[in-house]
Amino acid sequence: MLVLWGLAAWSSTAPLENDLAGRSSAALKDSVLDKTNVIVDGRDVTVRAEAFSQSGRSSAVGAVAAVPGVRLVDDETRLAPEAKPFVWSAERDVVRVTLSGNAPLPAVKGKLVEAARNALNGVEVADQMALARGAPAHFEDAALLLIGQIGKLKDGKFTVSDGEVTLSGMARELGGREAIAAALKKLPEGFKVAGNEVQAPPYILQAYKDPVAVTVTLSGNVPDDNIHAVIAGASSRKFFDEKVVDNLKTSIGAPAGFVNAVVPALGALSRLSTGTLVVSDREIKLSGDALYDAAAAQIRTTLPKDVPQGWQVKAEISVKPQAAPVDPTVCQQLFSDLLAKGTVRFETGRADLDRDSTGLLDRLVEIAMRCPSANIEVAGHTDAAGEEPTNQALSEKRAQAVISYLVQAGYGSTQPLASNDTSDGRAQNRRIEFLVR
Amino acid sequence: MAFLIAFHWGWLLGALALGFAMGWVAVVHRAPGVPRPGMWLLAALAVLLVAAALTNLIPGRAGYWLELLLLMFVPYLAGCAIGSWLRAWVVFRSMRAKSLG
Repeated sequence: MLVLWGLAAWSSTAPLENDLAGRSSAALKDSVLDKTNVIVDGRDVTVRAEAFSQSGRSSAVGAVAAVPGVRLVDDETRLAPEAKPFVWSAERDVVRVTLSGNAPLPAVKGKLVEAARNALNGVEVADQMALARGAPAHFEDAALLLIGQIGKLKDGKFTVSDGEVTLSGMARELGGREAIAAALKKLPEGFKVAGNEVQAPPYILQAYKDPVAVTVTLSGNVPDDNIHAVIAGASSRKFFDEKVVDNLKTSIGAPAGFVNAVVPALGALSRLSTGTLVVSDREIKLSGDALYDAAAAQIRTTLPKDVPQGWQVKAEISVKPQAAPVDPTVCQQLFSDLLAKGTVRFETGRADLDRDSTGLLDRLVEIAMRCPSANIEVAGHTDAAGEEPTNQALSEKRAQAVISYLVQAGYGSTQPLASNDTSDGRAQNRRIEFLVR
Repeated sequence: MAFLIAFHWGWLLGALALGFAMGWVAVVHRAPGVPRPGMWLLAALAVLLVAAALTNLIPGRAGYWLELLLLMFVPYLAGCAIGSWLRAWVVFRSMRAKSLG
């Protein structure tokens, strides 16, 4: 009998222990525990785990004690450590999102990881969260709200420390920073934003003047439809010859004085034969070829004065090599062709040159410089509208203004240059004409 | 208890068979009787072991082995009783047949 008993004890102990261990673990499935470890010695079961409440501890022990075959349960459960302060964070970098710090319950932890996966489709989610007690009320809601916003970051970190939320990093798109700030207003009660240092990406507008395709391509951002219309209008007036390709899109986050900086910068670009304009936040970079020396110098000195205060201008202007001289007949043809495409504009009722015409004037200067042997006459035409003497005086003044521009540009000191006023009522509109004699 | 029986039914059946065999043999086997003090000692030991098992006094594997021993003893004793009773009945019947014959 004793031999039989010995054999039974020898052969059945391990299967019995495995059976009990398996069923005890299964009984603990529904309990909310962390770091669970079940040790079986004979029919006695030792339960080691971290629970999140006293009732959680006792229910876990009760569940194991109710397993058929278990004789005694050794309760080695304890409460999970209490985190003080309770810190949780979500960090975004190029390839992944890392959730770290503390989570209050395994279920919440799983939910946060799941939410991060859903918020960032295809981005790896690294779970480095530990479980701890001491989470502030509505922690889960706050964390889920932040996870919902992390897709708006290019990189950065959201941290919750007790009730304080700190944010840092770089927004993925323009307006992302503002969208995050707006979403934070919905943080549950008891949470407040201790620091929001999320940076916006640079606000960029670009313009490229292509002399071969005869186009000006605008791309980047404008703050709203009104400013879009202003910039598009200014571009079509300044680039009278080129086709304006408008790829601008509306986006918030423009620096102050945006339109007042962009319009003069586009004016400077219109004076270049080829060039690139990049407006990035409050920095204007203009590079390209001016049509003649004086224009390059003028752009360098006047553009920084034309933009609002606080804006930086970096102008890298070189000068286009002067084209070969032409005889007076060709010269006249060039003037006529150019003035057929664009009109020299003046401020209404005055003899001041409109700034939108600077590009055209530079082109006229360039042609004039190719005609060293010609006598050029600048003729101001009036129309029939208005009183005759006033009109005549105005058109004469306007022709004079154009001459001054040519002289300033370095032309006319050696060549003869004259103004003329032709008051032919039949003329269709007021205009400036260049006549080569 | 139900779990232990279900888990070890093979071994218990074995104990029953062993007890049956022992009982079968015991009827015709002449062994020296156990002296009275020894009997008391065995009885006291049995009581002690049962008490230890019922109060879960012995921990871990040793406790389990004790329970297994006591549990296997029950079918063994039952087997002994059935075996000896059957053998006694068989022997008694054949003796009567002989005396009649």
